[in-house]
Amino acid sequence: MTSQTPVSLLDVSTYLPGEPISADYYAQFADSDELRDNLMFRAPKFRHHVAEDETAIDMVERAAAGLVERHGQDAVVGADVLITHTQMPDMPFYGGGGGMAHRLGMKPNWVIDLHNGGCAAFVLAMKLARNLLASGEGRTALIAVAQNSAGTAFDQPTVRRKAQSAVPGDGAAVGLVTLSDESPILDIECRTYGEYAGDMTLAIDPPRKWWQAGPGEACIGFTEAKITKVLARGNRQVPEVSYAVCDRIGMQPKDLDLLVTNQPNRAFLRNWREALELPKEKHTDTFEDCGNLFAAGIPVNLDRAITEGRLKKGDVVMMAAFAHAGDFAGAAAVQWGGRTA
Amino acid sequence: MSLPALDDIVDHTGNPEPIDGVVRIETAPREKATPIIMEMMRSVYPHDQVFGEYCTVNDYVDCPPDELFDYLSDTRSLEEWTYSLRGFTPTDEPGLWLAYDRLGSETEIYTRTVANREARTVDYHCAWDQGTHLWMVYLMRVVDAQVVLNKPGSVVLWTNCHHPFYDNNPYPEAAPSQRPVWVGDFWDMFGAGHELELKNLKAIAEYRHHNGLPVTPAWMR
Repeated sequence: MTSQTPVSLLDVSTYLPGEPISADYYAQFADSDELRDNLMFRAPKFRHHVAEDETAIDMVERAAAGLVERHGQDAVVGADVLITHTQMPDMPFYGGGGGMAHRLGMKPNWVIDLHNGGCAAFVLAMKLARNLLASGEGRTALIAVAQNSAGTAFDQPTVRRKAQSAVPGDGAAVGLVTLSDESPILDIECRTYGEYAGDMTLAIDPPRKWWQAGPGEACIGFTEAKITKVLARGNRQVPEVSYAVCDRIGMQPKDLDLLVTNQPNRAFLRNWREALELPKEKHTDTFEDCGNLFAAGIPVNLDRAITEGRLKKGDVVMMAAFAHAGDFAGAAAVQWGGRTA
Repeated sequence: MSLPALDDIVDHTGNPEPIDGVVRIETAPREKATPIIMEMMRSVYPHDQVFGEYCTVNDYVDCPPDELFDYLSDTRSLEEWTYSLRGFTPTDEPGLWLAYDRLGSETEIYTRTVANREARTVDYHCAWDQGTHLWMVYLMRVVDAQVVLNKPGSVVLWTNCHHPFYDNNPYPEAAPSQRPVWVGDFWDMFGAGHELELKNLKAIAEYRHHNGLPVTPAWMR
């Protein structure tokens, strides 16, 4: 892979909607739920909720502000590639890519929506961006991810009572990828485990298709058995893809300077850093402040680490995540080039 | 009617609360037990937690269980499938064999094999240097794979327990002078070492079985 034209993740900027919402918000609605004490659903202290009239496109525009500020309007407007992922597209038929490009003032040659990447979408998008740029499709790519299910789907009156609803939080992020060796993407591993693709389900009572009208509000169909399987898969997959990248770049996991992952719950965070033999201070997360940020977890945590000075020029950061009930996982290593204001 | 399970302990403690360390559905319903279980599920487990006190390795061997049991229950099979035990000869004491463990120079190892055909257990009671106190015990069991894996063949289970003598040689006077190593120095390698030996056993037994050779070779009969 070293012969490949160097492609860099130059910067990320992020957006967390509104004021933090404390765990009490959910406690007031909580009903008895047999999954309440489940390790997967122990609530974070805070999370953010997308506002009622705020669209995924709004979130991405706000997330991009940091990039515009640091790299200039042209860096965003002139990008050749836009890759997007939205947890809950404003309009499910056609996704968010076109609208986001328009809002950002872009006329890119490529606009691609990634839905399958789930919580690992940022890694999948980096792989795609890297390959497109390296093959001559442009000089700059923008990756935009928006997680907006917390203030929407999980905050429905009958859903927010459930244990699962206190965990998600909303947020968005935009990453800037360019043809350069300033902050090179060292390697990326993406794996699809299609056999698990059907395991994440929407539970609606009475049953209906998600697009059909009906009285029941949709939530994620969790059972104890399913949670245990997902825990076991996540425990396995995130280290697996991280090791694969480490092998190829010739690094021991314990020598990584920083790990950022998605953050479904505290158990995964602990298990993954244990698996990579990294101390807590080398694994930046925002779980207590933001909850489960889905696909925005990696870039928000990366941004946090950069802002707090935990990632320095020359450091190698591993970004890793798995998606849904374990149907996709990805890891990417970047040798961070530093943030130029 | 449920059985009077643990009634004696309730009588003894004088209250129906479970004693420490007991997790049963009556006092820890699933919503209470599941978090405990999930807390215990990790991505990785420290070596010492897996191999520190009990060193267990298991494998499937494509060879009929009774034939594999017969082979293992002959102490001299160790001459073939172990990494370093060589030169088995009978001693004056019936059932006690003397060999050399080439891991230690000039190191004698004594072995007595206790096998039970019905359970297909084969326990090698061994010790370095002396044959009076056989404290290194290799507990093995051959299971019919048809029963546990729904396919022909054998499953071999093998556990060693971390006897305190692994840490301190109780019979230093029996050791050859100047020997730089003690068997317990290798305890941390046992997981890997025993796996390697189990692979030896698998390769040998499967070769014989697949090629129509008796699993227990003629020279041992």
